[in-house]
Amino acid sequence: MALVVLDPVTRIEGHLRIDTRVEDGRVVEAWSRGEMFRGFEDLLAGRDPLDAPVITQRICGVCPVSHAIASCRALEGALGLAAPPNGRLLRSLVLGANYLQSHVLHFYQLSALDFVDVEAVLSYGGPDPGLRELRAWVEGEVRSNRVLPAAPFLPRLPGNYGEDPRWSAGALAHYLEALEVRTEAHRMAAIFGGKLPHTASLVPGGVTTGVDAEAVEHFRARLRQVRRFVENTYLTDVIEVARRFPAYATAGRAAGRYLSFGAFEEGTGKPWLPAGTVSGGVYAPLDTGRIAEEVGSSRYASRKPLHPREGEIRPEASKAGAYSWLQAPRYGGVSYEVGPLARLQVAAATGAQPVREALSHLLAEARMEPAALDSALGRHAARAAEAVLLARQMESWLDALQPGEPSVAPYTARPEGRGEGLTEAPRGALGHWIEVRGQKIARYQCVVPSTWNFSPRGDGGDPGPVEAALLGLAVDPDHKGLEVARVVRSFDPCIACAVH
Amino acid sequence: MAMDRRTFLKDAGLLLAGLGLGPALRPQFAQALEELAAGRAPVLWLQGQSCSGCSVSLLNSERPGPAELLTRYLSLYFHQTLSAATGDAAREALERAIEAGGYLLVTEGSVPLAVPEACLVGHEPYGRLLERAARRAKAVLSVGTCACFGGIPAAPPNRTGAAPTAQALAKAGITVPLVHLPGCPPHPAWMVGNVVHLLRVGMPALDEHLRPVRTYGQLLHDQCPHFAEYGRQEFATALGGPGCQFKLGCQGVITHADCSHRGWNGGVNWCVRARAPCVGCARPDFARDPAYAFYRLNEGGVPA
Repeated sequence: MALVVLDPVTRIEGHLRIDTRVEDGRVVEAWSRGEMFRGFEDLLAGRDPLDAPVITQRICGVCPVSHAIASCRALEGALGLAAPPNGRLLRSLVLGANYLQSHVLHFYQLSALDFVDVEAVLSYGGPDPGLRELRAWVEGEVRSNRVLPAAPFLPRLPGNYGEDPRWSAGALAHYLEALEVRTEAHRMAAIFGGKLPHTASLVPGGVTTGVDAEAVEHFRARLRQVRRFVENTYLTDVIEVARRFPAYATAGRAAGRYLSFGAFEEGTGKPWLPAGTVSGGVYAPLDTGRIAEEVGSSRYASRKPLHPREGEIRPEASKAGAYSWLQAPRYGGVSYEVGPLARLQVAAATGAQPVREALSHLLAEARMEPAALDSALGRHAARAAEAVLLARQMESWLDALQPGEPSVAPYTARPEGRGEGLTEAPRGALGHWIEVRGQKIARYQCVVPSTWNFSPRGDGGDPGPVEAALLGLAVDPDHKGLEVARVVRSFDPCIACAVH
Repeated sequence: MAMDRRTFLKDAGLLLAGLGLGPALRPQFAQALEELAAGRAPVLWLQGQSCSGCSVSLLNSERPGPAELLTRYLSLYFHQTLSAATGDAAREALERAIEAGGYLLVTEGSVPLAVPEACLVGHEPYGRLLERAARRAKAVLSVGTCACFGGIPAAPPNRTGAAPTAQALAKAGITVPLVHLPGCPPHPAWMVGNVVHLLRVGMPALDEHLRPVRTYGQLLHDQCPHFAEYGRQEFATALGGPGCQFKLGCQGVITHADCSHRGWNGGVNWCVRARAPCVGCARPDFARDPAYAFYRLNEGGVPA
């Protein structure tokens, strides 16, 4: 028996530690520990309701757009506002642009170095001038007397990486290209979002930028740049990783329960990706009344599971038996996985044909069985498939915009009210709940994607989705947790979000 | 670029003068500058109570772009979001870097002085890691309003005692050249420009909040495209409406930053051009006073 501790887990957003107990080369127990707390919900109480979108999007620098939208929708519920069709479409376009930047960032900057060994580039002997230049760079670094040569690409955990020099050099070149592509996606988001990260123009009632024909085509031109990379490079690289690391098509299997809040409102208000749950392959409509946050294993003092409408935050850093700053959200008393895989599973279960086709095409290319979607590779595949579908769909939202028509509803103050704002962040279901009393925020609660996925044990001792996904994972003690890191990163952790 | 020893000595003198320090440290500072300019500058980037928005903003750098930054300009010893090293390898990389010293330490996020458990990095409270790293740094660059002034985590009730980097260093009795680059997040050009200035030229001229004057020496309002409308008192009265955003709550009149002529994300847009008020995210007391709302629409109607 050995304890394998991965701390800090890098190449994620935020502060995460994963502990696993290993017996006979397999994980038999796992603990997911969120290691940072700020207290956003507390500091919102007593403030002006319109402060909420400005402040809550700063919970996370990777998915601020999702927080802004959840917050605006919660306020719209509390204040009785409705965004006009242009406002809904602009939100979906800004959200979509940030999804593309986040998904590309996740695969290349955050995950690729789990599979690609930069040192393998040294053996590249091919003619491609770009790749030869990369090889020369790695050579120069490795031979230098720098304290940490080739940082941040080295050092890395020991383990079985792809050793093919041509593929390694190509993947490293794509890593560098992806940096520019995600910057481009942020330029795109800023056209209607004002600036990124942390937008300016998303307000209760819509989007302040308005719809201008020139801006629409500006957005379209940049979208096509990003789309080209997503379809030709990102998707291909994910398929290549799947073919080279088939073990991860069975590793990282969670409970097979998926939750989506639905996202990307189209002009009519109907979300492009539907809300709902899938458990044991069966779809059910979403009922947010079934959500409660348990804190038995979390560093908070509340004594019973609370719905976010009644939620409270009473930090207790040294609470006995607690091991995480994350709460443990449960739906009908059980844990659910959220994220691109969950969204596509829910969409496919409601019969969405383009989603089904994209998934089956990708699975065939990656030589994976449909059941293999519930795995570390399946999560990467679903994320890439979603990016491809989204980039295509965004063109239709651009076409639906009505230049000159309003994009924001007139604001009306209302002293009292409650609202629930649901959307999806790149990494899963996001909900904000607000209560306004006397023109001020009386209570504000967020239930965030990584809180679902990286949840510690529930009050009944049941593991969270990631804790469950690690059970049974084969690990090589010499790799110091590399296998664990690969499974953990497939969930795209965002711990600043998860704890907030 | 070629720079001789005399240049480094001169820069070191300026650096020390800018910090109000005596000449005894001059040879040491000159050597540091020389080393940094000789190749990829060693940078150690630590995240405390942060949202990673400053890191994401850095990756939006335009010229040099993010790929050049990582492979040609900076030697990023450790960065929680980018380092290949994870777990044991990450802690070893951190220790090797700290042992070598001589890096530019960049801090992102606040320090939970009252509740050390509220931010741990590799089992260690962030505040302690920050102290260890700062003692061996050539200079510290606090990026983002949280690291510079406490930011949102330090807004009341501030249950973790979230504090700026400077306060944590002062508490530990550490004196090290310190530069503040506030913003939520800071513009990538503010970060890259001042890193280069610091490494190639020396300490930039700083104001009383330790902000480089060349970046924060002007009010956003002064070059705002709505400046003339402000003068004519043509104010927006509804969200997204035409005119100057002042009466909706725009803080451009009290915010020191160059957004109004620099623009964001490659210049495609920025807050006020997107018809949104400036929320003053680079101000020292950004988000700190709950009674000071970002929008004034709930004050019984916007005064006409």
